[in-house]
Amino acid sequence: MKARRMGAPAWIALVVLVLLGVVLSLSCGPMGFPDDWLTIRLRLPRIALALLAGSSLSVSGCLLQGLLRNELATPYTLGISAGASLAAGALILLQPMLPVIVFLGAGCAGALGASFAVWALAGAAGGSDAPRLLLAGVTVNLVGASLLLLIEYFSPASRLIEIIRWMMGDLAAVDATVPAFLTPFVAAGLLLCLPRSGTLNQLSMGDDLAASRGVRVGAERNALLLASSLLAGGTVGAVGPIGFVGLIVPHAMRRLTGSDNRLLLPASALGGMAVLLFADVLSRVVAAPAEIPIGVVMSLLGGPFFLVLLFKEGRRV
Amino acid sequence: MRQLTVKGLSAGYRRSDVLSGITFSLDEGEVCAVIGPNGGGKSTLMRAILDLGTRRRGEVRISGSDTSRLTRIEIARLASFLPQEYDCDARLTVREMVLLGRHPHRSSWSMDSEEDVEIAQECMELTGVTKLSDRLFCELSGGERRLVMLASALAQKPSILLLDEPAASLDFRNQIDVWRLLGRLGSLGVSVLASTHEIGIASRFTDRMLALAGGRCLAFGTPGEVCTGEILGEVFGIDLAVAPDGYGGFSVIPMPGDSRR
Repeated sequence: MKARRMGAPAWIALVVLVLLGVVLSLSCGPMGFPDDWLTIRLRLPRIALALLAGSSLSVSGCLLQGLLRNELATPYTLGISAGASLAAGALILLQPMLPVIVFLGAGCAGALGASFAVWALAGAAGGSDAPRLLLAGVTVNLVGASLLLLIEYFSPASRLIEIIRWMMGDLAAVDATVPAFLTPFVAAGLLLCLPRSGTLNQLSMGDDLAASRGVRVGAERNALLLASSLLAGGTVGAVGPIGFVGLIVPHAMRRLTGSDNRLLLPASALGGMAVLLFADVLSRVVAAPAEIPIGVVMSLLGGPFFLVLLFKEGRRV
Repeated sequence: MRQLTVKGLSAGYRRSDVLSGITFSLDEGEVCAVIGPNGGGKSTLMRAILDLGTRRRGEVRISGSDTSRLTRIEIARLASFLPQEYDCDARLTVREMVLLGRHPHRSSWSMDSEEDVEIAQECMELTGVTKLSDRLFCELSGGERRLVMLASALAQKPSILLLDEPAASLDFRNQIDVWRLLGRLGSLGVSVLASTHEIGIASRFTDRMLALAGGRCLAFGTPGEVCTGEILGEVFGIDLAVAPDGYGGFSVIPMPGDSRR
C-alpha cells in the first residue's frame, strides 16, 4: 500500500474550515444574524475560547499519544483532566465566586499534579514506559474521579449544580477575561511543544533509539509532558472538561498527515479549532434559544464519529 | 586511524556490574562481531559505549573524542545504534523511517531538507530497499525491516555503527545479506560493532571478533584467533570443535554429549 501525505490543498482546506467556523459562529445565536457591533463583540470572546480550547485539547492529545506510543492516550485516559477537574471542583465547593484566573491556575496545578503523580507511580512501578504510564494514568483518573464524587456528595445543592454544570464544559464568555487568561497557558504550551515536534517523532520510536539519535530522553519527555499539562490543564480550568477532542482530532488528522509530528501537531491544532467551533455552533442552534453544553455535544458527536473511523480503518487493513 | 577505543570499560545496572575491564579498539572500516552467551553483556556493551542508561567507568573514544566530554547530539553524529527493540508507528513509510535517522543533523523543528532526502536515498540504495521506499514500514517482512533500519542508522552518517543482533531471527539468506552488507560498509570506511550468535556466518564477513563471557573480554582478535574450540568452548560452556569452512570462515561443531554440565 502506498501512503498518501497531506499537500498544500489540504492545509488550505483546513484553514478555510476554521474561517468558515468563525463566520458561522459569528452569525448564529439567540440574537440572530449580527447587524451591530455589540452582538459581534459579545460573540468574539466565545470564538476566541473555541479556538484556544480546540487547539490546545487536540495538541495535548497528540503529545500524549506520541509520548506513550498509544493512539488512545488523551488528557482523560492519563488522568490529567481528572486532576484539573478535581482542583477546580474543590474550588467551586469552597468559593465559587473567585476570579477566573484562580480557576485556570487551579486547573493547571491539578493537571500538573496528576501528571506528576502518573509519572511517579509509573516510576515506582519500575519505569516510565508506555504501558506502566497508561496503567498509572487510569488509576489516577479513577481516584481523581472518585474524589470529585466525594466532593460533590458533600456539596450543598447550589454548589453541586455549579460543579455539574462546569463538568459539562462551557464556552460561554461574557467578556474577554477568560480567553485573555487562557492565552498565555496555550501560548506557553505551544511554544514548548511545537519546536520539539521532531524530537517527539524520535521519542515515539522508543527511548534507546531516540537517545542514540541525540535526544536527551528524560528532559525532552518532561518538557513535552509539561506542555501537554499546560495546554489541557489551562483549558479544563477555563472551560471545563470537553472530551473526545484530544482523541478524534489527532486520529482524523493522522489519516491526512501520517504520523510525522512536525505536520501532525499544527494540523491537529487547526482541526481542533474547526471541530470546537462547529460543535459550539451546533450547541447553540439545535435547541435554540436554549444551549446544549458543549461537552455533551462533543461526546454525542465524537463517540459515533470515532466508531466510524475505527470501522473504516478496520476494513481498509 | 582508531575509530573506536574502549579502555577499562565497566558497566552495569543498579548495584551489580555486568561488564568489567573491557578493552579493545577498532580501526577505520573494521567490522567486529561481538559474541557471547545470552545475558553475557553484549547489549550492555553497546549501551555502555553510547552511555545509554548504564552506569559505567572507563574511557570510550570515538574518532578520537572522549565521549564523556561530548553531548548526546555530538555522540549521535559520530555513532548510530540499532537496538533489538524499538517501537514503530503503523503509519510511517520506509522513506520517512530512514529520514528519521537525520535527526541529529538538523533542528527538531525543521522539515527534511533536500540534502536529507538525498542522503536517505543513498542509504536506501546502499541497503537495497529503494524499491520499498513508499511502502508502510509495518507491512514489511522482518528481513526488509532490518535493512530499512540499517539504512536509517546509516542516514545518521556515523563513523561507527553499533548493532545489537542485526541478523537475529532472519532466515538464512537474509542473514547472509545483512552480514555481506556490513562487510561492504567496512570497505566504505564505517566501522561496525555487531553482536551475534551466528558465529559461522559472522566469521566470514568480519575483520575482528570480541568474545565476552562472565562479564569480561575473553578474547579479541581476528576470527581465526578467536574461533578456536578452546575459546568458544569457554564462552558457551560446552565442548566444541571449530573447523575452517574452506571459504575464509569457520564452522562451529558441538561435540556429542555434554561433559561440562
